[in-house]
Amino acid sequence: MTTHVSHLSALSAAAAAVFALSVGAQAQGLPPLPEAIKSAGVLKAGVRCDQPPYGYKDETGKFAGVETDMAIQIAAWAFGSPDKIELTCVTAENRIPQLAGKKVDILIATLGVTPERARVVDFSKPYRWGGSDMLVAKDSPIKKLDDVAGKTVIMLKGSTQAKWFEDNMPKLESMRLNTASDALQALKQGRGDAYTHDAATLVVIAAKDPSLRLVGESFAVSDAAVGVRKNEPEWLAYVDAALDRMKAEGLYAKWVEKWIPAEIRPFYVDAFTKPKPTAR
Amino acid sequence: MEFDVAYLNAQWPALMRGLWLTVQVSALSIVLSILVGVLGAAARVLQVPVLGKLVVGYVEFIRNTPLLAQLFFIFYGLPGLGLRLSLFWSGVLCLTVWAGAYQIENVRGGLETVGKGLREAAFSLGLSPWRFFRLVAAPMAIRVGLPSMLNTSISLLKNSSYLQAIGLAELTYVAIDRISMDFRTIEMFAAICVIYLLLVLTLSFFASRLEYRLNAPFRL
Repeated sequence: MTTHVSHLSALSAAAAAVFALSVGAQAQGLPPLPEAIKSAGVLKAGVRCDQPPYGYKDETGKFAGVETDMAIQIAAWAFGSPDKIELTCVTAENRIPQLAGKKVDILIATLGVTPERARVVDFSKPYRWGGSDMLVAKDSPIKKLDDVAGKTVIMLKGSTQAKWFEDNMPKLESMRLNTASDALQALKQGRGDAYTHDAATLVVIAAKDPSLRLVGESFAVSDAAVGVRKNEPEWLAYVDAALDRMKAEGLYAKWVEKWIPAEIRPFYVDAFTKPKPTAR
Repeated sequence: MEFDVAYLNAQWPALMRGLWLTVQVSALSIVLSILVGVLGAAARVLQVPVLGKLVVGYVEFIRNTPLLAQLFFIFYGLPGLGLRLSLFWSGVLCLTVWAGAYQIENVRGGLETVGKGLREAAFSLGLSPWRFFRLVAAPMAIRVGLPSMLNTSISLLKNSSYLQAIGLAELTYVAIDRISMDFRTIEMFAAICVIYLLLVLTLSFFASRLEYRLNAPFRL
């Protein structure tokens, strides 16, 4: 009897040790990399190229930004080297087709979580939230969101804002372009009264361009998450674990500091660390 | 993802609005580009001073630069030079300028077939160069050039899809816009390809009727 008990306790001690080890391994390491990703030898990631500070190209044409660093970090963890990455520029309208068509295996591309998108991709845990805002000319009479009723608003095809305006202000005259630079150009040439986009993008532009200002009313706030193809649960689990590790190791704070000038930094720190605010 | 007919039904009104804009912008541009073609070819063949040389430069410039670059130049560049056109007229101008260059070559090709003898005969009858062009050379040239003019017109119609890049809500814009929201890629692209196909077939049909009519004097 006593031997039996001691056996049991020895067993449970061993089990506890194994359990402690596995917990330790999970905090440090990551789940096994799925075979399909591993066999490619590089991480094929889709990032934005016109969305500073998340994903953009710097003056020398190199990929830059917080989300770009996230992708590079995942490559480093998955393949042991930050060089094992193949970055592709994706746009708001082509990012999901690029993922579905296996041109890329992961999207870290200012992708907001919406039910329509959830139908065709799987989302990771959210890693930050993002609201929308509008950019107008400095002397514009538009002071709040409702002021754009009956006016022309420039937006990107397939953006969260395009969907939001379609649902909430269907009568609005919208001008839908393909890239943020096209939209900004069109706004500055007076082809529309306002340009709506992710607030994070507009904050950067407004800080650089004194002829424009932000309206400052937040709307269509959504979570941003990493996108992967449907039916790839191991890969999704790997990505989720990698995001947890980024948070645990304080990497977001490091990247925000690296890519974002001090005067507009608080906005982004909030997006990565504070809970999502409520808005229309 | 299977093909969803109900989805396509729901998007039909939007597609039809896009189609209507495609038809308007293309039809207007085809007519204007043929006008450019006839006048440009006349300037070249009649060796109008200065203008003739300008036409050569224009044709070379347009044929050797990408259409998308021309479109962005018209839409985003011209306002900087003081000319701001609406979306619609930017589109018409772009397609007209682009197709006009090809139409000039098409008409000129036709004019090459008008014999020297005819020209001398016309001049000896006292016709001015312009009247010779209008009454003798152009009708013959257009008849010969019609198939290639149709080719250019078909290209123009298909190239109107580039106008989605500046946000003109034509057929391709509607498809891309909906795809970027609903991700029904197969349904939408299949639908617009069929619509473009029908549109081009209709255009070809009318052009072949016209060819038939114009050839009436030559049929045995």
